[in-house]
Amino acid sequence: MRDRFERVLILLILLAPLLFSLRGGYLQQVSGYVYLFLVQGYVAWFLFFKSGQPFFGYSVTMAIGAYGTIVPALMAERYLPLFMLASAVAASAVGVIIFLATSRARGFYVSMASFLLAILFPKLIEALQDTTGGRSGLYFSGLSGPLGLRNLYLLVILFTVAVVAFFFWIMNTRTGRILTLISENERLAQAVGIDTFWYKIAAYAIAGFISGLGGALYVNYTGFVSSVDIEVFSTVYIFFIPLIGGSRVRYGPILGALFVILVPELLVPVERYMRIFFGLIFILVIVLLPEGLAPSIQKLLARARRKP
Amino acid sequence: MLLNGTITGLIMGGILSLPVLGVAVIYGITGIPNFAIGVIGVFGGFITWYLFPYNMGLAILTGVAACFVVGYVTQRVLLTPISEMGGDSTLFFIITVSLGFVFEGIIRAVFPRPNISIALPRLGTVRFAGYSVEAFKLVALGFAILTLVLIRISEEYTEGGKSWQATSQNLKLAKLVGIGTTRVFSIASGIGCALACVGAIFWGSLYNLDLSSGWDLGFMGFIVAVVGGIGNIWGGMISALVIGMVMSFSGYFLSGMWQSVILYAIVILVLIVAPKGILGSERSL
Repeated sequence: MRDRFERVLILLILLAPLLFSLRGGYLQQVSGYVYLFLVQGYVAWFLFFKSGQPFFGYSVTMAIGAYGTIVPALMAERYLPLFMLASAVAASAVGVIIFLATSRARGFYVSMASFLLAILFPKLIEALQDTTGGRSGLYFSGLSGPLGLRNLYLLVILFTVAVVAFFFWIMNTRTGRILTLISENERLAQAVGIDTFWYKIAAYAIAGFISGLGGALYVNYTGFVSSVDIEVFSTVYIFFIPLIGGSRVRYGPILGALFVILVPELLVPVERYMRIFFGLIFILVIVLLPEGLAPSIQKLLARARRKP
Repeated sequence: MLLNGTITGLIMGGILSLPVLGVAVIYGITGIPNFAIGVIGVFGGFITWYLFPYNMGLAILTGVAACFVVGYVTQRVLLTPISEMGGDSTLFFIITVSLGFVFEGIIRAVFPRPNISIALPRLGTVRFAGYSVEAFKLVALGFAILTLVLIRISEEYTEGGKSWQATSQNLKLAKLVGIGTTRVFSIASGIGCALACVGAIFWGSLYNLDLSSGWDLGFMGFIVAVVGGIGNIWGGMISALVIGMVMSFSGYFLSGMWQSVILYAIVILVLIVAPKGILGSERSL
């Protein structure tokens, strides 16, 4: 009963910003970004926190989706949906390749290899600036042309809801339960006869595909992408989303995405000191609320309910 | 070209080896990967630049001392308590990156310019086999090698160095025999950040320092340390020199942008082929 209530609540929270589409403007634009990063945050939630795979290349898979869409679409825009799908498949393939290439290594080294890839990728984009636009970036109208901005915003929301629902569903399946077991005790999973290798490949393939498709939608929503957008800090921010929000709770990444995207927006008036506050807030949240925002809010609410 | 490339590569590697040594010292002793080390080092570089017009020696000393204090205090107040609560590599990654944000913000907020160059005296040129090299660059390389040797000697022959080794090899046992491990951790962190500061000062004198230099230097220091075998001081030094050579020689054939791509690609390849680095890690991750 409580589980169903939680799911309905998450759905309502996710759909609430639909109201912004009535007014359009700044709130619609910012909430669109929150959704697009929320998708990436849920990818990190699924792959890192639920499946226990030490991957840090989220900005890479997202960028492959974005560049794999915009670069060919500038040559033949009518095949745009096809390019979006193909770039998501490419991102999925890259995720699997990273896993296969680093399968001999253990946790931290896999993290480092994927983190280095996140540093390398923007440099590669800059080196290929004749095709990718480098730091100046590439512009296109993308799906906002045929759909219009409001419908594109609705599509972003629907996509996010579908991704969140998919991850909740998959974690309740046998595959999801095995992935949880792998993250908690891989040796035990192997001892009971589970071939963990294939389950891990599946986790990377799924995460890469959704991250890539999210990247493809991101470039359609913004109409622009440059090497600056996919710098290594994007991966850090994406990783912060489930961590800050609370990775043990299903709606944790929602709070995390709101926090990571909205805190810098709120700090705009003190732009000069933004990084100091941003860093300090992260440290304080991690030190004071080690389980993340969501479980701490849950505890506070429970305590408030218990009081007469 | 061969001699030119080799000397330039050695010098680049030598300067790079200072933050690498910083990473190696901190990780080797505390077991904590500190990703803020480059930004803290550049913070010290900015302090040095700010005080430089008054007195060069005092400016360098203040910058390095400030970094030591920052390293000591952050380790004592933040990182050691988290480590004692059972924090893992992921948590330290997040905490130290956030710490890096704070110091990048301080540099932006406090100092009047975001892009600086430190005018250390160039000391003339040295001629060798028909090739001339700035004496200052040789000093930088010599300093890096001397630092490495001093760290190794102090590890082997001083009481403090022995307590470092004991703490790094078996923390529980070190505590049991009365070594103040918290203090050892804090000093190691302070020394690591001070080394990063010296690296940043040399870097800022040869090239320049800006808000992103700290991350570049820190990440580069970290990946070079990983390639050498993280926590392994000799591995870090060899790796820094090899990577300096790669940077130097690729500069002859490729544009600056491709240079970084090739460098990172090689590092990733090394990690794939030899996940524990060239000489292997002295700590198990």
